[in-house]
Amino acid sequence: MLRYIAKRIMLLVPVLFGVSLFVFLVLHLFTTDPAAMMLGQHATAEQVASLREELGFNKPLYVQFGVFISQIIQGDFGMSLMTRSPVTDELLARFPATVELAFAAMLIATLIGVTVGVISAVKQYSIFDYLSMVGALLGVSMPIFWLGLMLIILFSVTLGWLPVSGRIEVGMEPATITHFYLIDSLLSGNWEAFKSSVSHLALPAIALSSYSMAIIARMTRSTMLEVIRQDYIRTARSKGLVERVVVFKHALRNALIPVITVIGLQMGSLLGGAVLTETVFSWPGIGSFIVNAILAGDFPVVQGGVIMVATVFVVVNLIVDILYAYLDPRIKYS
Amino acid sequence: MFRKKSFFMLLLVSLLAVAMVGCGGGDNKEKAADKAKQKVFVFGQGSDPRGLDPAFVDDGESANPIVNIYDGLVRYKTGSTEIEPALATEWSSSEDGKEWTFKLRQGVKFHDGTPFNADAVVFSVNRQLPPNRTDAMPYASFTFGPVEKIEKVDDYTVKFILNEPYAPFLANLAMALAAPIVSPAAVEKYGDKFIENPVGTGPFKFVEWKKGQQIVLEANKEYWGGAPKLDKLVYKFIKENSVRASELRTGSIQAMNGVDPNDVKMLEEAGLNVIKNPGMNINYLAFFCNKKPFDNPKLRLAVAHAINRENLINFLYQGLAELPNSMLPNFMPGHDKSLQAPEYNPEKAKQLLAEAGYPNGLKVTLLTYSTVRPYNPVGGDKLAAAVQADLRKVGIEAEIKTYPWKEYKEIYTPEVVEAGDMMLYGWIGDNGDPDNFLSLLETKEIKSTLNAAKYSNKQVDELLMKGRTARTQEERNAAYSELQKIVQAEAPWVFISHSKDMAAVSKKVEGFDLHPVGVVYFRDVDIK
Repeated sequence: MLRYIAKRIMLLVPVLFGVSLFVFLVLHLFTTDPAAMMLGQHATAEQVASLREELGFNKPLYVQFGVFISQIIQGDFGMSLMTRSPVTDELLARFPATVELAFAAMLIATLIGVTVGVISAVKQYSIFDYLSMVGALLGVSMPIFWLGLMLIILFSVTLGWLPVSGRIEVGMEPATITHFYLIDSLLSGNWEAFKSSVSHLALPAIALSSYSMAIIARMTRSTMLEVIRQDYIRTARSKGLVERVVVFKHALRNALIPVITVIGLQMGSLLGGAVLTETVFSWPGIGSFIVNAILAGDFPVVQGGVIMVATVFVVVNLIVDILYAYLDPRIKYS
Repeated sequence: MFRKKSFFMLLLVSLLAVAMVGCGGGDNKEKAADKAKQKVFVFGQGSDPRGLDPAFVDDGESANPIVNIYDGLVRYKTGSTEIEPALATEWSSSEDGKEWTFKLRQGVKFHDGTPFNADAVVFSVNRQLPPNRTDAMPYASFTFGPVEKIEKVDDYTVKFILNEPYAPFLANLAMALAAPIVSPAAVEKYGDKFIENPVGTGPFKFVEWKKGQQIVLEANKEYWGGAPKLDKLVYKFIKENSVRASELRTGSIQAMNGVDPNDVKMLEEAGLNVIKNPGMNINYLAFFCNKKPFDNPKLRLAVAHAINRENLINFLYQGLAELPNSMLPNFMPGHDKSLQAPEYNPEKAKQLLAEAGYPNGLKVTLLTYSTVRPYNPVGGDKLAAAVQADLRKVGIEAEIKTYPWKEYKEIYTPEVVEAGDMMLYGWIGDNGDPDNFLSLLETKEIKSTLNAAKYSNKQVDELLMKGRTARTQEERNAAYSELQKIVQAEAPWVFISHSKDMAAVSKKVEGFDLHPVGVVYFRDVDIK
């Protein structure tokens, strides 16, 4: 087991190197010239050229990449061109917000997704089954950006139930302990702050969960259908067990194993893929930060952000793979 | 067993959460009551500032909070770019225009309690003069360009020594960028982190900055101009224009900038005031005047008469721009109301074409950029297509060449201008001084590429110099008026539009206006 983990961790190195190389090339070959962006309208062509030299942009690409890689290894993503502060600090300051949103979305997606999937499977070909699978199709195909705007118009502007955007009401931030507002407000007993964070979290979490929820529901339904037709389920029924026990204890537990893989994969993409949701809801996480950086030509932030997201993604997947062995005794890693 | 338990815990927590969201209503009322006691103004803007140290920023998102945290020696009057006293109570310049002496306001304190005096002014300016100036100070060389040195005369008098007479210098000192006076003690205390811990003398004190979320300021009750009416001023960062508009409609913010033209009607119908003020910018077409065919003023005028600018304003810009009569927007000192830009007249255009020696029309190349610019919210390619269509009607065939913005600067340097015959371009004013716009036609700016038209006229150069050395505004205005008349006759540019700046604000707010320089001064804003 330990050897397997070590091997997987070793494999992270080439993956992250590939990601670094890719993001570096994309940014250096195709994007706006940060030198021209930084200098503004007074700049002469000469000044742009001289700043480019100072920032090292006119060195050969492989030299620039070498410098970049050696910095990353030391955990240094350089300075943001926008804010002139270290990229690592900026990203870490925003990471908790992204994690909080991703976990909330995952929670919603799993609870609703699994429940809907189980009911659909048990009541196959019922109205509920058809409706929920149409809903799942919509969830998979609806652009998050559009869904977010619709949720805002319905729940915030028209009904006035929930706030439009942001992470908490201005001025209500709880004392900083873990940087997760929900946990911090509970730990510090700040009930108002907790309510405000939950109400701010609701819409972005629902919007973000839509895709994963649909995937989980469909996956649960299909594995449940498979399991329900197994001999041991028939046996369970024939020995007179109540249907509830058959479904939850015998069928669901076995059906959940592939579902958990999917949940793990979704978790990775939620942590990294909240870009659009964060932008729509002005959620102060790394996704919206990276979008701003792209628009401002702040390439150190884009590089650092993409590499950070990629790292989180592969690490989460690794953890899921390892958990798998615990959940399914048939799987042995050697 | 364990899994079942944790599943129920999750269920419980989420039910709890849903229940609490449901009972949010009553809570909001309490908050509203709190807010009534404390006047909190939340202003929605698109993103975080780059920083709050005026020496190190050049963006509008930074300028907005900066003008409310700091004061400069002078400031703009409400609604125009004329100058009035601020931290300096009076000033005078020497006979040769090279020495400027400022008397400072006494009894003013920085937010950290340290006194404002001549030492603070000298400190604020000196850190941006060579050899202290660095590349990271985007506006230092513009704002303090002509300053050779600054001297303390006594505790409440400072003297700037310029290396040439330069009247626009006064307007530079009113700018949000580079010019505001910072607390020397705070710069020393915070060092590199001063950019996130600003200390000035302005109407609002800095409280905190949550990156990606908001900046909170509180009233400076001891403000020299009288305590502001608001208790707190919050800049909330909301990226999407339409989401910002939704925030405004729900009342969770009181005002916003960057209104999307498509949202104007919806906001007005929702009972909000949409402010559409002329912006400090010009959107123009520049002819390359240094080479054939546009070295001929008659041909330039022919093009000017061929372009239907009213149509562009009404349809391309949906009425959210103003028709210029000159280079200067109308709120600027030096703007001459009597000027008239060439009117739309295709017949006259054809006649001028014939007189210029092109009775059968001609082929030219029009350069443009692919992006949206503040002075051209529909983008360079759409404007180019509209201009092309107008020119075709009088027999001018314009081939359009489009470049990405980052390459645009390099294609019209004097060396590579062969690429075309005319170009679309624009300018965003810096300091509200007429020189800042008019000097774009100065001969010496051909080399720096600011003079995109490569227009050179000795008389214009002389009048610009006269404007810089003049000691009264009347003298300056006279010189600028004459200059603009020459430009009108010679037509190195076609003045297409002045794009409007927009903001939307709740009707409960009083005293709120978008200043022509693009920021909102909150010292007199109140919530009813």
